[in-house]
Amino acid sequence: MSLTKEGKGRRKAPLTPWKKQQRKPIPGVASLNGRWGYPAIAPFFIIFLIFGVAPVVYSVYIAFFKWDPLGTSEFNGLNNFIFLLQDSDFWLAIRNTFSIWALSTFPQMLMAISLAAILRNKRLKGKSFWRTIFLVPNITSIIAITIVFQQLFGRDYGIINSLIGLIPGAEHIDFIEGVIPSHVQIAAMITWRWVGYNTLIFLASMLAIPDELYESASCDGATKWQQFRYVTLPSLRNTITFVLIVGTIGGLQVFAEPQQLGADGGSSKQFLTLTLFLYNQAFLNNKYGYAAAIGIAITVIVLIISTINFFITRKMSGEGK
Amino acid sequence: MNKLAKSKVFLIALLGASVTAGLMAAPAKAVETTNLTIWTFGEVIQPGLQREYQKLHPEIKIIPIKNDVDPLHQKTTLSCQTKSGPADIIAFEVPYSGYWRTGNRPACFQDLRQMKTSASNVAAGVAEGLSATDIKKNYLPWRWEQGVAFNDSVIGIPTDVGGLQVAYRTDLFKKAGLPTDRAAVSKLWPTWEKFIEVGKGYVSKLTPAEKKSNKGFIDDAGTIYAAIMNQGTTKYYQPDGTDAGKLVYKTNPQIKKAWDTTVSALNAGIGARLGQFTSDWNIGMNKGAMATILAPAWMLDYIKKQAPDTKGKWDIADLPVGGGNQGGTELAIPTYSKNKQAAYDFLTWYLAPEQQLKVFKTYGLFPSTSVLYDDAALLEYKDEFFNNAPVGQIYTKGVLKLKPIFEGELQRKIDSTFGAGLGRVASKKMPSEKSYATVISDIDKLFKN
Repeated sequence: MSLTKEGKGRRKAPLTPWKKQQRKPIPGVASLNGRWGYPAIAPFFIIFLIFGVAPVVYSVYIAFFKWDPLGTSEFNGLNNFIFLLQDSDFWLAIRNTFSIWALSTFPQMLMAISLAAILRNKRLKGKSFWRTIFLVPNITSIIAITIVFQQLFGRDYGIINSLIGLIPGAEHIDFIEGVIPSHVQIAAMITWRWVGYNTLIFLASMLAIPDELYESASCDGATKWQQFRYVTLPSLRNTITFVLIVGTIGGLQVFAEPQQLGADGGSSKQFLTLTLFLYNQAFLNNKYGYAAAIGIAITVIVLIISTINFFITRKMSGEGK
Repeated sequence: MNKLAKSKVFLIALLGASVTAGLMAAPAKAVETTNLTIWTFGEVIQPGLQREYQKLHPEIKIIPIKNDVDPLHQKTTLSCQTKSGPADIIAFEVPYSGYWRTGNRPACFQDLRQMKTSASNVAAGVAEGLSATDIKKNYLPWRWEQGVAFNDSVIGIPTDVGGLQVAYRTDLFKKAGLPTDRAAVSKLWPTWEKFIEVGKGYVSKLTPAEKKSNKGFIDDAGTIYAAIMNQGTTKYYQPDGTDAGKLVYKTNPQIKKAWDTTVSALNAGIGARLGQFTSDWNIGMNKGAMATILAPAWMLDYIKKQAPDTKGKWDIADLPVGGGNQGGTELAIPTYSKNKQAAYDFLTWYLAPEQQLKVFKTYGLFPSTSVLYDDAALLEYKDEFFNNAPVGQIYTKGVLKLKPIFEGELQRKIDSTFGAGLGRVASKKMPSEKSYATVISDIDKLFKN
């Protein structure tokens, strides 16, 4: 009867017979519910408190200071935030971040869906080989990727510019100095790294679509393209939203690629992203308080976007029903 | 409550067990060897000399960990904040010396005046009982001062002087109808204006195809800026009796002069617009994309490694106006190091004149020990790769012309802000005046907030 005592005050609804059965004490395991429950989950929570919550609380605190651990630190009120809103670099970083995000997310999505559609083909040989190979870029070090891409995109001797040079009248593109070209280069790195991963997610979702839908569609005389357009795509709606949300959060954190391209974000700060901006203020300029304020601003931006995402998702799934 | 208390006991026991296990494992290892961890970059710690020292001291194991200059600075800053880290020796570049010498930051490093060499290196030529004050006389005075903090503690010992000269391609000069002999070439450009003119002449003789593939007289005309700045006596800070110095980045006429000269070089199109240390630069070196590079002594080794096929085609001439400097490194011992004595013994051996001479001969880093500057071994040293140029003599001449510059706290950052500004002019994204104004407002921002 100790079980009912445990649940007292926590559950309003009475336990169903099924749940009662589940909660029957099993020797050895059941004791975890009692005295060993907290110690068992403690490691995670303690680590989370130390490395997750504490730094967040601390950074909110120092956001109100002029904070340099090896220099002087003084209370600064809201000045960090006021300065941030007036800092043209901040707005530039927002522009760059969203531009890179758009350039990497949408082409990537198209490619991933197309690749998944190809991989779904029942007559395709060596399926597991292809599926494995698609994941390789994802486990390659970002630094290695940037080094290779910098050579591909080199202004004078890069392969891509050598190809462009073959077109009569075409000028070599400077993939670092140009605003959009530099975004394209970074987006290409991100796409290279994540397209295979997203392909597999789309593939899994496609494989879950029942064959009957395709059979009946082909009975109705639908072409392959029509099947894709009216059967596959609508079924992928939730997956697309998922990939979009994950991609957006990742897109707001783009850091290593632009940093490898040029630590200060380029001569005109043309590829300075939000996280790179934060990092540079803290670790290059020793303005830890200001960097903390930027961190809070990024959090607010993520929250706004997540809310928008949430409403879009809700609307879409509402339509789905 | 009871449950919580019990879980605490459980955790403490767990922690205790792991700590004990760690302690038990540690001493057994320490008896055998002392690990000296060195945070370094580039070619500061030479593998050859590292092996030599380990042969002298089998009980010491040297572990160099390389980073780029700026990331290493951040790592050093963080380890100083937390007062912990694995490093026993840390390298920092001279542009960062102003940062470490001011404020309460000298406390991050051991005051080397308080250290004394042990007897362990007597056989290798380092006497016993030497403090930093005792070895000071071996080094170039202004170069030594760059490792002395404003509270007079000695935080770093200089490794090299980044003397700057012009490395040029004799074959390309010949093709363009220019003299190839190093004395004649040096006479071509007594001033920077003349240097730019020679560049214009060179570029005008390039074929349209060569121009289209971005070939130029100099690798990156933007490097002229730093060269001119370092030929002056004041950069962005002026000594005014305080540790921090007075900021003069808005008023120092040297800056505007260096900027304008560099912009005229950029506008003249003499540069191949190859950023140094990029992949295009490495390839361009092999393909003859540039006929000249403003090369600090330490860069010679890089050129040898990146473009081995150009052996014998290079030579070295004097820098316009004469006397140039770029870079240079300090080696310091962090306060938290547990092997300070071993680290100091290594430093005093590694940076002694004998070893610096070896480093120069194998890797081109120009010695900071001025006692060598009239040593025949240095003066008569010639480099095959650079057409048997007497590199020892050429760089000595340049280094002796140098005047000390007051390096301020944010020197490196201000330098790179000016660099970015010139980059905008080079890529024609902003006119010179507007870009200069942006540089100044960007620097203003550094000191605000």
